[in-house]
Amino acid sequence: MSWAGFKKSVNRAGTTLLQKTGQIERTVDRQYEDEEAKYRVFEKECQALQKDSKAYWDAMRSMTAAQGRIADTLETFYSAADRNSEGAMAGHAYKRSVDDLDTTFNRELDGPYRTTILEPIGKMCAYFPVVNEHITKRNKKMLDYDSARSKLRKIIDKPSEDPTKLPRAQQEHDENKETFDLLNEQLINELPQLLDLRVPYFDPSFEAMIRMQAKFAEEGYEKLSGVQRYFADNVRDDYAAGQLDAQVESVLQEMRELSICGGN
Amino acid sequence: MKGIGKALARTPFQVTSKIGMSKKSKDAEFDDLDRHFASLETAAERLIKETKTFCDAVTSLFTHGHGFATHFSTIFQPIAGEYDLLGKHSEAEHTIRSVTKHETAMEEMKTLVTPELELIESRILAPAKEVQTIMKQIRKTITKREHKLLDFDRFNNSLTKLRDKKEKSMSDEKNLFKLEQDFELASNDYDYINTSLKQDLPRFMQLSTQFIDPLFNSFFYMQLNIYYMVLEKMNSFADSAKYEITSMSGGQIEQSYEEKRTDAWNDIENLNIVKRIVSVSRLVQVSKSQNSQNSLQRAPSAAPSTASASSSLRAPPPGRSLSSAAAYKKAPPKPPSLTSSPSMGYAPPPYTPTPPASEYGGDMSTAKRAPPPPPPIKSKPKPKVAIQYVIALYDFTAQAEGDLSFNAGDRIELVQRTASSEDWWTGRVNGLEGVFPGKCCMKTTVNAWFELCCRKLCEGGVVVNFVHKLLSLMMMMLQTRINRSVSSDSSSLHRPRQRCLFYAASPARSPFFPQQGAQ
Repeated sequence: MSWAGFKKSVNRAGTTLLQKTGQIERTVDRQYEDEEAKYRVFEKECQALQKDSKAYWDAMRSMTAAQGRIADTLETFYSAADRNSEGAMAGHAYKRSVDDLDTTFNRELDGPYRTTILEPIGKMCAYFPVVNEHITKRNKKMLDYDSARSKLRKIIDKPSEDPTKLPRAQQEHDENKETFDLLNEQLINELPQLLDLRVPYFDPSFEAMIRMQAKFAEEGYEKLSGVQRYFADNVRDDYAAGQLDAQVESVLQEMRELSICGGN
Repeated sequence: MKGIGKALARTPFQVTSKIGMSKKSKDAEFDDLDRHFASLETAAERLIKETKTFCDAVTSLFTHGHGFATHFSTIFQPIAGEYDLLGKHSEAEHTIRSVTKHETAMEEMKTLVTPELELIESRILAPAKEVQTIMKQIRKTITKREHKLLDFDRFNNSLTKLRDKKEKSMSDEKNLFKLEQDFELASNDYDYINTSLKQDLPRFMQLSTQFIDPLFNSFFYMQLNIYYMVLEKMNSFADSAKYEITSMSGGQIEQSYEEKRTDAWNDIENLNIVKRIVSVSRLVQVSKSQNSQNSLQRAPSAAPSTASASSSLRAPPPGRSLSSAAAYKKAPPKPPSLTSSPSMGYAPPPYTPTPPASEYGGDMSTAKRAPPPPPPIKSKPKPKVAIQYVIALYDFTAQAEGDLSFNAGDRIELVQRTASSEDWWTGRVNGLEGVFPGKCCMKTTVNAWFELCCRKLCEGGVVVNFVHKLLSLMMMMLQTRINRSVSSDSSSLHRPRQRCLFYAASPARSPFFPQQGAQ
């Protein structure tokens, strides 16, 4: 921090202290505060949106990737006994379709998701630090203005011995007021605009999002359901009836009964 | 304890076999089975891990999908006090109407997927974990076999060694017998465990395939169900919200997005608040220069508002604010130099009603040059009210027509004044009437004189001793008394004396001889 900056911040700290103790009057601008509160809501929502959109995409990717790895594992299981069983064929088909799904997502949805969701949201979120900078600046200038005003008022109330003090304080007050007004006005004017523009800005993303969600489910369903052909005819019904679970249980029981599992 | 004893007994042989001094027996068939089993073990471990990853991914997919929908719909709803988003953005009407539905759909999906995930948890993960425990047991048996094999090899080795020995001692014979017994025991143990493993491991492999079959099928249907559920929900949502979603490729989605993209991007880009602040002072300057460009429109509205208090309004002379910078020291009442444009916030002080121009117009030049104590003109109209005087603190030279010139220390007779010292007052001095900045003067005489004295002392830069100061102070007090007692029209009488007093403070100049011209 530069020396000038340090001096400023020390002065402002003093002003804040005096304001806290009620020595210096605070500027209260209801209009600005309303706008800022709205902006804060928007900022929060946008940041949450960014987080969610990113996590959503990651989850999609990790879902298909996990499926791919599960398929690999299944192959190991099948290769333990006979490679040419019906199950092994199905497992192979599953692996193929899952891999297909994974590459489809990467190839077809990665780009669009980036352009339609991640980028607009990211861009919007990137504006926030700059806007916040403006807000901080405005608050600092407000402190300066408050302190200059109270100084001026003191001098007017109690004329000083030095006649140059009054005009100097007046000038300082005017300068600070001007700067503060400028920043304040700008924020009051433009924050609502920014908020207002969010609707047309994000509007197309919504449709794209829905389409991609649908696309994801559609692709996944189509690709996976193709694997069913390799299953035995009764598998589907068995699954529905919970027969498969019973099978699993019986096999497990058999395993437990193996002499090598006795643990002695 | 038994375990430690065994381990100790096995260690020497382990070491020697490692360095190749004693031979190890191999069972190729078992080794093959062992390898397969090991790969199964890792596979089971991975299956569990990946299933967990999958479940987490699905959970987070739906959680964040819901989160996205929620925040999106919040953004598309009026934020605190906003109104009529629909009216303002008719083009986004479709979206605005659909976001809430989308949110509900996502939420339903999130709740729907929970039982599906629980199913995976209980029907896939639990059996897989069960298999893992079984595998651990088998692993234990295999380790046991290793140990038994070690024992077998160990005794076998010692036995062969002992048998090969040419001359056997008594103890050797005894040992031989004992070893033979041990060897038989170890070989029995090993054979038993090895055979059972060789028998059961292939069986286990087969079983694991049988196991994975229904597991895989279940898992597959569970996955399929998840996709189907999403698809179903999305379709029903799209139907109710009238969205065209069927079979669009990623490229098409992107394209239609690009088509719909509005200039909102540019509009936001053009806002000032999304641009970094370089420096506030520059910002102020820029805005000032912008403002001065359209000051023509703003000035008329700004000026009357500040000046409306006075009945006869005089437009601010254009030269005033410019000259003020130079004359700042001498004439502080001028508007601060920062406002170079009249429209910015600080309007020049409005003039108080002025006397008709004819009264002083011709005397302007003489007033400037006139020696300070000119013969007082007695023609001033007597005001009914008691005449008020103010003491000039500074020299002031007329800068525009109608201004009153005077020197520091002059007593100015007030003709008209306003409550604020910011304003221009009308006053009379040396028989001339004009306006002057109220700031230049002070009403309280003592203060004014003291102020003046001090300033003059400082300006003179002369070393002043205490006596002089005291003297001047005393004289001043005295003078004030006189001032008060002397009636108002006696200004001509005490005027020189005021001057004297004034210069008495500075020893460099001869007292009692006012040298006004020398300034």
